Amino acid sequence: MERNKLLPLAHLWAAFLCFFPAVGLGVWQMLMRSPLPAPVDDPNLYYSSVTAHGSIMAYVFPTFFAMGFGYAIAVSALGRPLHGEKWAWAGFFLAVIGTVMALVPVAAGRSSVLYTFYPPLIGSPWYYLGVALVIIGSYFWIALMLVNFRAWKRENPGKPVPLAMFAITACALLWGWTALGATSEVLFQILPVTLGWRHTIDAGLARTLFSITLHAIVYFWLIPAYIAYYTLMPQAAGGRLYSDTMGRVTFVLFLVFSIPVGLHHLFMDPEHGAGFKFVQSVLTFMVALPTLLTVFTITASLEIAGRARGGKGLFGWIRALPWDEPMVLAVGLSLLLLGPGGFGGLINMSFAMNAMIHNTSWVTAHFHLIFGGAVVIVYFAIAYELMPRLIGRPLVSKRLACLQLWIWFWGILITTIPWHIAGLMGQPRRYAIFDYSDPVAAKMAPLVILSVMGGLVVLSSVLLFFYVLLRTSFAPVAESMLPIRYALSVNPPATVPPLLNGFAFWNVILLALVLIAYGYPIGQFFFLHNQNAPAYSLTQEVTK
Amino acid sequence: MSPANNPSRLHNPWRFIAFALVSAIVVVAFGLGFLLLPRYQGTHAPSSEKDSMYHALGFHTHANASSTIQPPLKIPTYIAWTDTTIRQAANGDPKRGEVIAQDCTACHGEKGLSTQAWIPSLAGLDPLVLYKQLDDFRSGTRLSAPMSAIAQSLTAQQYADLAAYFSSLPGLPESSGERPPRPDSSYRNRDPVQRLIYAGDPKRGIAACASCHGPGGYRIGAPALTKQNELYIDQQLHAFAQGTRANDMNMPMRTISAMLTESEMRALAQAYANEKRQQP
Repeated sequence: MERNKLLPLAHLWAAFLCFFPAVGLGVWQMLMRSPLPAPVDDPNLYYSSVTAHGSIMAYVFPTFFAMGFGYAIAVSALGRPLHGEKWAWAGFFLAVIGTVMALVPVAAGRSSVLYTFYPPLIGSPWYYLGVALVIIGSYFWIALMLVNFRAWKRENPGKPVPLAMFAITACALLWGWTALGATSEVLFQILPVTLGWRHTIDAGLARTLFSITLHAIVYFWLIPAYIAYYTLMPQAAGGRLYSDTMGRVTFVLFLVFSIPVGLHHLFMDPEHGAGFKFVQSVLTFMVALPTLLTVFTITASLEIAGRARGGKGLFGWIRALPWDEPMVLAVGLSLLLLGPGGFGGLINMSFAMNAMIHNTSWVTAHFHLIFGGAVVIVYFAIAYELMPRLIGRPLVSKRLACLQLWIWFWGILITTIPWHIAGLMGQPRRYAIFDYSDPVAAKMAPLVILSVMGGLVVLSSVLLFFYVLLRTSFAPVAESMLPIRYALSVNPPATVPPLLNGFAFWNVILLALVLIAYGYPIGQFFFLHNQNAPAYSLTQEVTK
Repeated sequence: MSPANNPSRLHNPWRFIAFALVSAIVVVAFGLGFLLLPRYQGTHAPSSEKDSMYHALGFHTHANASSTIQPPLKIPTYIAWTDTTIRQAANGDPKRGEVIAQDCTACHGEKGLSTQAWIPSLAGLDPLVLYKQLDDFRSGTRLSAPMSAIAQSLTAQQYADLAAYFSSLPGLPESSGERPPRPDSSYRNRDPVQRLIYAGDPKRGIAACASCHGPGGYRIGAPALTKQNELYIDQQLHAFAQGTRANDMNMPMRTISAMLTESEMRALAQAYANEKRQQP
């Protein structure tokens, strides 16, 4: 195998090998919370499990995936070997070591802090160092994306950077900026305490720093899926992308608006005034814009493909689309689930409505719907598209792949819709066990059982995914494989404005916005020292 | 070269437009959030521009707080878990503590293991727990004639030394605080006492004992109870229920004990006293 193919392949396998056990843990957690019997029903173990599940799903899996996808794009979209492949491998191994380092103390029950850390709760320093190593590994990737982006621009002056590369570079930049929040929380707040240098944590400052990462990380997960929307799906559907410019504007808007909005995760927190919460709430509504642009552009691209395939009438083009293509199916289903997921998000970001669903299962249901329904389903399709090309063996069965995507779609719906409703009924999140003999909880019991069933459907879809991947890995080598091709737009751009061909200007705008939106909310902690709280560890006495 | 042919000139208006749009959004957001909205916030509407700015920044001004009638303060404890207190309490010298502890053996037993059922064993307890109880005996927020006299004769540093000594002894509670996963520690357990310890009883608003007192979960200032003397636990539960012991910060023990029945208190005391020590 060519070495430049081994690199993305290693990343994708690392991503999915972590993903698989994390799904299993998720199903066990749902069983724990349900009225059904769960093996080893121990609440302490539940929190360890949630920590592992969350850390893998939020940090490890999407990071490896974005890195692998990014390297594949850099080679295939730019049509040149990757600059700095050694550094890429170094980043990969750092992230692998970090993953192991973070998960061992979690498995030992020493870091049940959940993936959002929840200071003043603390766990073993190895956990935080491990997560930090994963992030550091991903910084190698960010640097390499920028280096390759620049090198191509230097060699092709005046030409528009291919959309896929433009987008993955926006994704890398976004992650680079936003990860600084959680990284500084770990470095300046949590590690000094876990290493025994301090005994209290400024909980307000720590939570505010984390909020810088907490929202934009969602767009870091989402952008690889959107890249498939814009550049892979129209090609797979046999059509063209409706607008290349719209894609560039979308990714730029994500970069600019997804970071200075994190305070909407702290609406109920007392350490911030109503003014900054409102300002960031307004900016949050701006992040809905690129998604609305995308829904419009992608629907238009689907229509172009449908009509090109002979679809007629108002809706006839929908039937004419090749729904037996995994990429087309995944994007279609993802768009469908993005609807309820996105509107749920609008509720969460509205101060008054958030108050009703704050800390209920609604919130967990919401981010599972968005992540599972809109993001991971496209990751599967990307894997079906990329992995056969990386190993030079054809996908064994498009039918099985489509079946897997359908099962996943229904599984996610069955899991998350009752979950949302239970949240509206007041079921709190982060609870290991519920007493269903309590009349209030008893009313939620059927919904929770339904949700567990959905979880089992999701698990079966993941098993099928691995079956297809493994069968493909051992299939006979193809004589020749078409290289991956990115969709042309209806009007392929000959030139694009420099503003939509680079990020320097947008970085400045982004930093100015972050300074305006976060300057005071963070700065206040340096003169108001009223948020210090004694750190404590869940499963250990404090001073031992 | 004419301006139209110069690409950088051509794109200048877009740079300006992008900048102006983003600025406009920010200005509108701040105007609404800091000037307009605070004026319409129901019962909390601030009276002046200055107050509304304060509100938006997060300074909450309570103008009439001093003129309202305040009930007399009941202070459960003078300990607050600040960095200074934790440092003071956790940095005792066990050698010096051992010398002072000579005077404790008559009641609390050799090596901190009490043989008298109504007196607690101290070996292996967290230093912060011991430090807080000594300070509460000193300030009178926890009542006991002999202990008050003893605590008043000692300094804060000596509390820390004693705490360091007793916590270093091979003790009753699990010293590591960890435990292997234990099945049946939820509401599905049929034993009502085990259920109370590990899962609590949300219908009555009773939190799980184990989430603060172990095994497996610890809160700062809460003693581990495994293998503590049965009669002592029972008596303390009664004292909290009656309000004769009231030195629990934020009153979790007064609240919970008041809801327990006589037989539950006895059963809980018994269960903790006989809890098997986990093998490390």
